[in-house]
Amino acid sequence: MLKDAVEHVGGIGLYGMVSLLLFFGVFVGVLVWALRLEKGRLDAAARLPLESDSTQPGKEDCHERDA
Amino acid sequence: MNTIETFKYDNRIVRAFAWATVFWGLVGMSVGLLAACQLFWPALNLNLPFTTFGRIRPLHTNAVIFAFVGNGMFTGIYYSVQRLLKTRMYSDALSWFNFWGWNLIIVAAALTLPLGLTTSKEYAELEWPIDIAIAVVWIAFTVNLLGTILRRRERHMYVAIWFYIATAVTVALLHVVNSLALPAGWFKSYSVFSGVQDALVQWWYGHNAVAFFLTTPYLGLMYYFLPKAAERPVFSYRLSIIHFWALIFIYIWAGPHHLLYTALPDWVQSLGMVFSIMLVAPSWGGMLNGLLTLRGAWDKVRQDPVLKFLVVAVTAYGMATLEGPTLAIKSVNALSHYTDWTIAHVHTGALGWNGFLTFGMLYWLFPRLYRTSLWSTRLANYHFWIGLLGMMFYVVPMYVSGVTAGLMWKQFTSDGFLQYGNFLETTLRLLPMYQLRAVGGTLYVAGIILMIVNLYKTARQGQFEPETEAQAPALSPAHAPVTPRWSHRWLEGVPVTFTVLATLAVLVGGLVEIVPMLLVSSNVPKIAGVRPYTPLELLGRDIYIREGCVGCHSQMVRPFRSETERYGEYSKSGEFVFDHPFLWGSKRTGPDLHRVGGKYPDAWHYNHMNDPESTSPGSIMPRHSWLLTQKLDLSSLPARIRTLRRLGVPYPPGAEDTAVREARAQAEQIVANLKTGSVEAEPDREIIALIAYLQRLGRDIKQPGSVPATTATLSGPGSSQP
Repeated sequence: MLKDAVEHVGGIGLYGMVSLLLFFGVFVGVLVWALRLEKGRLDAAARLPLESDSTQPGKEDCHERDA
Repeated sequence: MNTIETFKYDNRIVRAFAWATVFWGLVGMSVGLLAACQLFWPALNLNLPFTTFGRIRPLHTNAVIFAFVGNGMFTGIYYSVQRLLKTRMYSDALSWFNFWGWNLIIVAAALTLPLGLTTSKEYAELEWPIDIAIAVVWIAFTVNLLGTILRRRERHMYVAIWFYIATAVTVALLHVVNSLALPAGWFKSYSVFSGVQDALVQWWYGHNAVAFFLTTPYLGLMYYFLPKAAERPVFSYRLSIIHFWALIFIYIWAGPHHLLYTALPDWVQSLGMVFSIMLVAPSWGGMLNGLLTLRGAWDKVRQDPVLKFLVVAVTAYGMATLEGPTLAIKSVNALSHYTDWTIAHVHTGALGWNGFLTFGMLYWLFPRLYRTSLWSTRLANYHFWIGLLGMMFYVVPMYVSGVTAGLMWKQFTSDGFLQYGNFLETTLRLLPMYQLRAVGGTLYVAGIILMIVNLYKTARQGQFEPETEAQAPALSPAHAPVTPRWSHRWLEGVPVTFTVLATLAVLVGGLVEIVPMLLVSSNVPKIAGVRPYTPLELLGRDIYIREGCVGCHSQMVRPFRSETERYGEYSKSGEFVFDHPFLWGSKRTGPDLHRVGGKYPDAWHYNHMNDPESTSPGSIMPRHSWLLTQKLDLSSLPARIRTLRRLGVPYPPGAEDTAVREARAQAEQIVANLKTGSVEAEPDREIIALIAYLQRLGRDIKQPGSVPATTATLSGPGSSQP
């Protein structure tokens, strides 16, 4: 039934099946890939933007505090 | 052990892009506000060609997309790439070439679009010399980005960088393919594609311009600036990996949802619809990843205007990416297409996602660039609330307007006649909504002015830091990654392979959809009666393109009874084979024009162009009275004919030599027709060519001997039409 639906919706023929399988393959591949990654490394990667790199703004020269 | 290296981040380039973002944001949105007001107050067109809606609408869209969002994207990329990769940009010269090149292109756009120099292809309106400049500048940016990645000091490429790579590669590809055209003069070119194929390539581009210009780079910015502002890492790095690959793989397939129920072959439409619906999954994965980053930090959102802007931006992304697939369902699209619903949808994205994310980023960035604190948090909070209110006043009236128009166009009386047979009646009903939308736009622009004051004062009170010194150990090539091959970490360590794989992911969808369309001739059945335009009609068509008529008038009658009743026979793909470019349009502020040929006498068009209210009382169409006085440029005709022949339009040998004579003869005929309608006109005026074109529209299949292709082009929608 699924095959029937995919192949006959709007006359897309084989394209429906090919693109669905292609997408499904890529998606499952990425999913498996992502799940197998090591947590420690992921955490380290996620912290990359937080490494100190620039001047933090001071509070002393805030306009509203001056006022 | 590697030695610790000291290096400097370049803040000057970030500052330059940031100020350009602010400036173009104000310009682009102010032009948008003017265009919005013209829709209920046509006199604001000033009866000047340069300020008329058809010409400034593309100016608005280009300024917001490429000037505001483009500079915003570069601001964030140039700031974050250096810090994430622990290195200065690869080349300062390329950075500045990117800045000046990009902004000069925008200036060129701001000059040429009001002059009517346009290809008419949406978001790709700029003519060929500027297109070449865009390609060169974009390549400079890509080289600079990849060069920086190659000499980084951080092995791992953070997820934001992946989105930047996908952006750089895909935008180059989209821009080059969609801009393929043959010049017929310095500022006139004809798309190498025609009709259905041009439409498919254009919306493959248009859809993915949204994907890879307005979305992926901003997702990169989200993954960098949201953790920065919230001071906590992204919710799930795993999810970000899935988000990235699924998004770039699926996005490219979905372009045909812009052409549902048109003369595009059904299989392409269905494929586009299916992939559009699947797109919800990765989009929402990304949105949730953004919002959940704030877990346990929602108290900060109450105080920090930066986080407020970012939260609304991500929420708007979520809303727009749920609405997009909804609009891509054929039955919904049957109602929404050509209406203001689309306008509401894109502005949720532009004002909410791109606008608010940019504002949040700028409020975060300025205090850091100028080593101070934000001049006024209170003013930033005012900006937030005014901007949010502006967005609501924009979007909600457009929804009401869209649904109202869609329903009125389809409404039949109990006797089976169109209830609103006069299109103008449906437009006039929307005017209060247009006025409310202008209120929303005014509020939004007012918010931007508050931001400019705040950022200027912040800059004034602080001290700009041109370079930030940093230290990091060198990344020695001898220290190859120890992780096994084919782990994602390995992949991120190999930027070139990563880029190639990302490009492949992007290419697949385009190849499956577009290649068969270009190669399989049976996709566009030939119709015997369809002939190339006469020289005068061709000039008229180019005037139609110049004036941006396509911004308000479609040329695509969909196969619905409500449309065939109103306009006539539905449009067939074979009718457009000589249309370089296609002019199907995407919005009906005025009625469809595909079957307008022969509907009115020549004199009606003459009077209507001079003053639309004289033929259609209450019309909001601007006057185009300069067409009555400007002289027709016949001298360019031979070049135009030659160029089109090279593209496959079957003009016979020598047609370029007889073109001027033929055009004059046809013009004399139209002048004679006008005389019968009590209009005295000169044959050498632009209006004559435009009338010739309008009177030709949609008539070929009515010629004896034409075989309307009813079977192959449209299989079935007629039976299931709403």
